[in-house]
Amino acid sequence: MKPSQVHDAGFAEPSLPRSNGALVFEAPWQGRALAMAVLVVERTGRQWDDFRRELIAAIADDVDRPYWESWVVALDRFIDDVGLLR
Amino acid sequence: MSEDHHHPLPTTPVEDRVAVLEALLIEKGILEPAAMDRVIEHYEHEVGPLNGAKVVARAWVDPAYRARLLADGTAAIAELGFGGPEGDHMVVVENTPEVHNVVVCTLCSCYPWPVLGLPPTWYKSPPYRSRMVREPRVVLREMGCALPEDVEIRVWDSSAEVRYLVLPMRPEGTEGAPEESLAGLVTRDAMIGVARL
Repeated sequence: MKPSQVHDAGFAEPSLPRSNGALVFEAPWQGRALAMAVLVVERTGRQWDDFRRELIAAIADDVDRPYWESWVVALDRFIDDVGLLR
Repeated sequence: MSEDHHHPLPTTPVEDRVAVLEALLIEKGILEPAAMDRVIEHYEHEVGPLNGAKVVARAWVDPAYRARLLADGTAAIAELGFGGPEGDHMVVVENTPEVHNVVVCTLCSCYPWPVLGLPPTWYKSPPYRSRMVREPRVVLREMGCALPEDVEIRVWDSSAEVRYLVLPMRPEGTEGAPEESLAGLVTRDAMIGVARL
């Protein structure tokens, strides 16, 4: 059973927010990965398209990798490119 | 209850990586937990398909707004106060009895966040991204949106340059309905183009 089916069957944590019945995030780390990307772009004065390019590349690298895992790969590379943690 | 109701799930490598990155960015002073929570709260609760539904309902009742929306989606959507990341370069495509529009992002997950919220899981999936371009009529039928053969299907590939929103046809029998109730009829899937109202 896929996670989405589990949620559809009503076993999801009641606190997980939904949008038109669909879960916004399947797990809290996905929301944190999204927020980090939004904030890092904003606070480094970059454009959202700069992050998107990393995301497109990360998805193309491994098309079968789950979406949010590719997002984290892109985030890691973006942070490295910007040199934030050096 | 004999089973552990709140048995904690083991963390995954990606989950651990997210936690490490967040801790490092906080330690460096690049972000702080309150800002993180504010962004998450925003995307979980404040932006979503209701924004897009308001745009659609306004276009249904106000021909001048509809004309502005089709001419310059970004500006017309901003009139209602919606904008932000992934909200630039909006193009609104209008369904008619002859033409049905559907949106996909073949490269990643481009999607108009300010009016639809974050994309659903299926929108980001490889099968949707590749098949909707190749065989839209089949995919739409599988998604419960069977279209008559004489309806032309136009597939729009969202990208960094352009993000699309479908303006669905106003359902019959809603003449005279107030704008607020019309907005309640508009679904996220209709604005992606995988459903009709």
